Amino acid sequence: MISPAAGIVVWLGASLIVVSDGRKGLAVGIALTTVGLATFAFLTAGPIAAIALALGGAVAATRRYVTGAEGWAILPPGSTPRLVLSLATALIAFWVAAGLTSGSYVSLRFGVIVAAVLSVARVLSTNEQTALLSAVALLSLSAAVATAMGSSITSLWPYLGGALVAAAVGWLPLRRVSAA
Amino acid sequence: MLPEAIELIVIAGVALAFAVAFAPIPGTRRPLLVRGAAGLIGTAAIAAVPTLDIAVLVLLALGVLHAAVSGTRSFATRLRPPFIAVALIALGLILVRVQGPDILARFGAVGLVAGLAAGVGVLPYLHPIESDEALTASPVAWLGFVGPVLATVVVLRAQGLLTVDAGGAFAAMLIGLGLLNMAWASVGSWLTADEIAAWRYSFVADWGLVLCGFGLTVVDGRRGALLVLFSILVGRLPLYLLSRQAIREKTTTRRPINIVVAAALAGSAPFVGFAARILLLRASTQIAWPLAVVLALVMLLWLPGSLRLGRSLGQPRGRQALGVALILAVNVAAGLYPLPLLAVAQL
Repeated sequence: MISPAAGIVVWLGASLIVVSDGRKGLAVGIALTTVGLATFAFLTAGPIAAIALALGGAVAATRRYVTGAEGWAILPPGSTPRLVLSLATALIAFWVAAGLTSGSYVSLRFGVIVAAVLSVARVLSTNEQTALLSAVALLSLSAAVATAMGSSITSLWPYLGGALVAAAVGWLPLRRVSAA
Repeated sequence: MLPEAIELIVIAGVALAFAVAFAPIPGTRRPLLVRGAAGLIGTAAIAAVPTLDIAVLVLLALGVLHAAVSGTRSFATRLRPPFIAVALIALGLILVRVQGPDILARFGAVGLVAGLAAGVGVLPYLHPIESDEALTASPVAWLGFVGPVLATVVVLRAQGLLTVDAGGAFAAMLIGLGLLNMAWASVGSWLTADEIAAWRYSFVADWGLVLCGFGLTVVDGRRGALLVLFSILVGRLPLYLLSRQAIREKTTTRRPINIVVAAALAGSAPFVGFAARILLLRASTQIAWPLAVVLALVMLLWLPGSLRLGRSLGQPRGRQALGVALILAVNVAAGLYPLPLLAVAQL
């Protein structure tokens, strides 16, 4: 029961990142995704990997909570295509994870595919740096957890790397555009 | 660490030192050194980490840092290509590793090749370019500096993960994408209106050769790819840097030096590009001789674009002239005696 629930939490968090423009919505999205992915990390790589991932995601969510556009801004006007995309991604990812592929970790496959695809969708749908960096955090955490698939040797380095990237990008200053 | 990657990192370091020493505008040397050193450290990290999964995370961090550098293009525009590259490679790795029908591994190979193309910035994922953007902030930083090591790491590590069937598809896609880039970009370099875009296309055309070399699964293919990467780092990139001043001033000249530079860019003898092309033709003959015929025909397309780029260098004087002479000498030396370069890479 834990693993399917973690997959659904990952999808909810990633969808929230996709359909939110405000800092609170993005922060909660990162936090939810972190909870789901850290659960997968605990189940596949043990507590240290889970703690590393949880810490990285917590720092990313906290930084997002204090920087960016005010409020939640969940489902702002014009966001219907993003909502439809989130639902469609979940359906297709579930089909790939449960129908097309076989073996254990169905929920893990669902979670990382849905997180990776929705992070790309977010990056392609916005120019706001805070939303872009939220997508970076989402992708780095999910890419770290994805290493558990097909690998008999569990290494902590991908989890530490993913957590570090997710935590560090939150501290980037807003970039100015200038001539060469 | 892969020996080819170590060699390319050292060569990238030499290219950076050259760029700092011979930068046309003295005020740009310090940012060039700082950003170049950061890029070199990130590039070395991509090669130093033990698995492709972690290399992908390093690539993501490097992409975010590059997007954060001040420049004329927006943060989003510069973040998207490396981000998409990371996502595609990560999805490719998932499909390669999961259990399921064989076709999934082939789709995984598609993800790896597409991610590689997006990361480096070749067709069909050309990064947007602006003519007045600093070199370190422009897509040329990926094409000419980070790309060689990134591509080597992705291709060589991916080959160890793929099944025989998916590995064949991976190689075939690299060759196909390489041919597409060669043909399209060499014509683009010749016909496009903007000089900076023409230089960018010339990098992409060279990358076509590299992709073909990686796709030809014989040792001569890898040798040829390595020599093309060497010529990008130590030939095309510094020549592009030296030509930026003349491009800004819209100066074109038709002196002997411009012809010699054009010959170097076109990969004619005795420059290193010629040795690379010979190796690639030999490798393709071993795989399938009609491919060698196609490659030879496409290689002819380098000439018109290279003549144009040679003219865009203007008439180098003083320190610039010394820089051009040095580049040509190194490229001739590597063209005449490529074996040490190949031996260091254990090829």
